[in-house]
Amino acid sequence: MKIPMTLVVNGEDFSLEVAPNRTLVDVLREDLGLIGTKKGCGAGKCGSCTVLMNGRPVNSCLILAVQAEGAQILTIESVADKDPHPLQIAFAEKGAIQCGYCTPGMVLTAKALLDENPSPDEGKIKEAIAGNLCRCTGYNKIVEAIMACASGNRE
Amino acid sequence: MDELKIVGKSVPQLDALEKAMGKTRFVSDLVLPNMLHGKILRSPHPHARILHIDTSRAERVRGVKAVATYSDTPGIKYGPRTEDWTIFAADKARFCGDEIAAVAAVDEDTAEEALELIRVEYEPLPFVVDPVEAMREGAPLVHEDKPGNVAFEFKVEVGDVDRALADSHVVYEDRYYTNQVHQAYLEPMGAVAEVDASGRFLLWVGTQIPNMMRMTYAKALNVSADRIRVMVPDYGGAFGAKMENNVHLLAAILAKKAGKPVRLFYDRHEDFIAGNPRVPMYIEIKLGADRDGILTGKDVRIVGGAGARVVYAHAIVSTACYRVDSLYRFKNVRSKGYTVYTNTVPTSCFRGFGNSQMTFVLESALDMIADQLGMDPVELRIKNGIGPNEVSVHGWEIKSCGLKECVLRAAEAANWREKRQKKQPLRGIGLSCCNHVSGNRAFVKEFDGGAGIVRVGRDGRITVYHGESDMGQGQKTTFAQIVAERLGVPLETVCVAPVDTDISPFGMGSFATRGTLMGGNGVLAAADDAFKQLAKVAADLLEADPEDMVCREGSFFVSGSPQKSMPFQKVADQAAILRSGAPVVGNGFYTPPTVLPDPNTKYGNISPAYPFACQIAEVEVDPDTGQVNVLDFTAAHDVGRAINPLATDGQIQGGVVQGLGWTLMENMVTENGKIANPDFLDYVIPTAMDVPPIKSILVEPVDPNGPYGAKGIGEPALNPSMSAITNAIFDATGIRVKNLPVSPEKILEELKRRKA
Repeated sequence: MKIPMTLVVNGEDFSLEVAPNRTLVDVLREDLGLIGTKKGCGAGKCGSCTVLMNGRPVNSCLILAVQAEGAQILTIESVADKDPHPLQIAFAEKGAIQCGYCTPGMVLTAKALLDENPSPDEGKIKEAIAGNLCRCTGYNKIVEAIMACASGNRE
Repeated sequence: MDELKIVGKSVPQLDALEKAMGKTRFVSDLVLPNMLHGKILRSPHPHARILHIDTSRAERVRGVKAVATYSDTPGIKYGPRTEDWTIFAADKARFCGDEIAAVAAVDEDTAEEALELIRVEYEPLPFVVDPVEAMREGAPLVHEDKPGNVAFEFKVEVGDVDRALADSHVVYEDRYYTNQVHQAYLEPMGAVAEVDASGRFLLWVGTQIPNMMRMTYAKALNVSADRIRVMVPDYGGAFGAKMENNVHLLAAILAKKAGKPVRLFYDRHEDFIAGNPRVPMYIEIKLGADRDGILTGKDVRIVGGAGARVVYAHAIVSTACYRVDSLYRFKNVRSKGYTVYTNTVPTSCFRGFGNSQMTFVLESALDMIADQLGMDPVELRIKNGIGPNEVSVHGWEIKSCGLKECVLRAAEAANWREKRQKKQPLRGIGLSCCNHVSGNRAFVKEFDGGAGIVRVGRDGRITVYHGESDMGQGQKTTFAQIVAERLGVPLETVCVAPVDTDISPFGMGSFATRGTLMGGNGVLAAADDAFKQLAKVAADLLEADPEDMVCREGSFFVSGSPQKSMPFQKVADQAAILRSGAPVVGNGFYTPPTVLPDPNTKYGNISPAYPFACQIAEVEVDPDTGQVNVLDFTAAHDVGRAINPLATDGQIQGGVVQGLGWTLMENMVTENGKIANPDFLDYVIPTAMDVPPIKSILVEPVDPNGPYGAKGIGEPALNPSMSAITNAIFDATGIRVKNLPVSPEKILEELKRRKA
């Protein structure tokens, strides 16, 4: 049985009919074609499915689509506007991306951090991304990239 | 040689920005029209006879388009090396997770519903999960035709080991265990499969071996290899795991039965229970040294768990048996390795491929020898380390060798001497070395090497085709850098095509740390060929001799007369015009100067270049919890030449952190024949909070056989990490860790015992 609902994603309204057991990540990927959000574990442990919900990073695999009604959802597709976001440029330039599967989640988590705390220290950065697993990079370059975007560090 | 413009420079990955923007289409993002979703029914028993399967109720579920079992397959036994696989279990389930049936339906929920309606009658059988237990008399047989569950035996012996050990001043003898760990790449395994109108199988797979896999699967599907096309989109990591796996064949069988494309990807739980985790090994070592610390002889016995079917475990066990012999100047060595079946998930390649397991043991043993002799571990390595232009005990021809420099520079950067002398309680520093290969001739009978195609279009755009695989390590960019350097053009004008077995050369793939050297040399040869063709056209335009043409920063000019120049694009344009639109296509290949080793003695040079490394870890042990905290890490790597230092550093960082995870927190736990922790909640991998500062040092002796002198980095990045940490624990506490992972409880117990 499908429930009619509205999702607000990347500033746009979507009228959908969604089965109540479907997760936000699945609706984003399958119904809205927003494949930038990834599924790595489906259990809220890896952070690949991170989206911003009213500005806060959440695991979209643990949120039912129907629960997301009324919230502002931002996916990785919204982060760049005309140009790539400084975080995206920093990630690329600092070598913080290898396979890239964790990257959308990392970028969103980092964006949420810097939006709230423009000058985090290394410890705060590591805490913020502790819920985003990466198996390729060993994290140090990701931390460097986020640090480079902290205010006061940007060129 | 002229100064290099692009090779040797740190550049962002060509596809990094696209990945950062979420625009990259990974293999699990692929959507095809009418695509169905597959799910697999797995054996809940570690060992059971399959008496009866009833799929009738599942078939009647609305939205189910195909249900498949063994009877839907050609029923042929196959395997990457040993033909002990079937697509779907035939008569027996041999591990908990073995594939019994599969469903393709309009969505995942429907497929899952159908799975629940499949009735399977099992007769559970006694099972065995430990490889040493499996070798004992009376143990249940996983495969009836393999007595003692021994799939393979490997033996190598050179010199007089018993005499050497008897004459030694110190002999260290002990038994180690390296546990089963999972690659834990972020994108689970799977494929999208379709059968086209002519009956050809089309597979979109994240695979390290698009071509080798096709040959294995051809046998399984009972078709000739040309009836399978493998295409490799970007994929989310592999670290060795993404080679052959039944998931791809199940997708193919379902696609054939349903007559529609089928998407079949593991969920995380499934990836743990049916992926290709690391071969666990029991390793016994006996190592001798003389008074001066010169290693005399080494005797090793390994028992490795293959799981329910052999993927590459036998090659991994044999590698563990003898690769380390070429790290030091050994003269007397003996190794025996058993690859043993157990009723557990089939094990396979994981970064290091047996060399990581054995390096952990050997470097721990050297640490104990150093301790017994009262010798600095640095000195022990310097005294015994193999050097440039030497030939090892197995005939490996070491050309460039930066081992000594790695040791000295790592020690200096880590403040080794000072830290070793300043004895702080519960704080220690440990060192470990490794060797590795850049490609392994012993791995594939037919050939080793690389090939490339470089296409230069009329618009001057350069496309590189290769048959290897970029699993995120940055291979695409490395190849582009090599081609751009050779052609003399800006990096931005070069793109690397995705691998499609219909178009790409037959690359062996990415494993054995071979990509940069083999694939790199292949595309370099192709770029060379393209250059020569373009040089002829440029020479005509500039009224010069083709031999005198050079190209730098996108302009062809006559050597010595840079004012007589022509833009690369104009030359490409003219070339196409002269040839009725035909692009310039450079074709090239590289054949390494290596041999298949002698089947008995194992003697023979198997790789064109050998990378080396030295890593140093500093740890602190908590006396109240037994937990080990890695404070600092230094990694010096001989890579020949770093094509992209930023990427090489990235590989080192990633490898060290995987080693840290393996040493301190990762373990696949089996209870009652089932994996008890098939998820990221209970199988813990490092997060950003677990990582120390890691200083990487690149040592570049420039190898004569590598493209622009490059060797490899992928696996050596991990090999020494585990023993660097456990050697540091030994320095901190006197406790020798012999089983991975480190158990804080055991450390605590031992600390308490010593206090008492």
